[in-house]
Amino acid sequence: MAGPIERVLVLVDGTEESITAAQYAILLAGASGAELFGAYVINTRALNELLKSRIFVEAEEQEYEQDLHSDAERYLKHVGDLAESKGVPIKTLTASGSVHQEVVKMVREHGIDLLVIGELAHAKSRRDEFYNESERAMRSVGCSVLIVKDQERVWDLFEYGFKE
Amino acid sequence: MALIDQIREEVIKVPLEGRNKPEILRELVQVLVDAGDLTDGDSAYRALLEREGRGSTGLEKGIAVPHAKTAAVDKLTVAIGIAPGGIDFDAQDGNPSDLFFLLLAAPDQSGPHIEALSEIARLTRSDAFCRALRNSQSASEVIELIQE
Repeated sequence: MAGPIERVLVLVDGTEESITAAQYAILLAGASGAELFGAYVINTRALNELLKSRIFVEAEEQEYEQDLHSDAERYLKHVGDLAESKGVPIKTLTASGSVHQEVVKMVREHGIDLLVIGELAHAKSRRDEFYNESERAMRSVGCSVLIVKDQERVWDLFEYGFKE
Repeated sequence: MALIDQIREEVIKVPLEGRNKPEILRELVQVLVDAGDLTDGDSAYRALLEREGRGSTGLEKGIAVPHAKTAAVDKLTVAIGIAPGGIDFDAQDGNPSDLFFLLLAAPDQSGPHIEALSEIARLTRSDAFCRALRNSQSASEVIELIQE
């Protein structure tokens, strides 16, 4: 279906906020007929930094990377199950690297016209504002961005559907 | 999840009284037990010691980041302590450690654990931040600094 939104990408990072964003993206794709993608980026850049700063030993870095691969699989499967429960097809994407850079790449490569992300935490410090990966992705991508808020309402919409 | 979300006055101890690695680890674990963030302090302590056995988390310039995955917590848990004068923590540069950031994470929460450790790595890269932290006299001053 041709419309203002044809390809939606939702960024999943394991937080509750990102799962809520996925639910909203599923509903949006279902209602608009847009193609839906779910993405998880394994933050190997952070792992490398921790190894470089010697907070991690090498074996530990590998162990955590494996954990993140398992997380990616688990969370994308969960989002896939949610989409299936609504009869919405979804393609899942996994990448490794710097989160915001990989999201920019995915948006470009898949012709995404809407990025959906979870609610951002209130920035309590300037450092947090600067380094939040979702926020950096939001600022870097070339497409429109939707930030999903009001978790309770989204849950109700997902569970009980739209009210007439 | 930002580090600052986990920090409150109850999980900060200034000054620390321990004089060696086991005492400092015990003391910081006890801070978390007293704050109500941890019930099984012994398990957490053992996990931290086990991690130290793989290589000291005493870094350079007085900074130490003891951390471990443990089922003793169900979410990311952080304690901060300052030991004026420093103690021998087997640091990589051989100097005494005086700024301690202790992190415990549930085994299935590697993502937030990595995020918080990265945040500490970035914060402590700033000599000005570390200098100001060393001069902190109270938990509220530490929080103020991290919020800046």
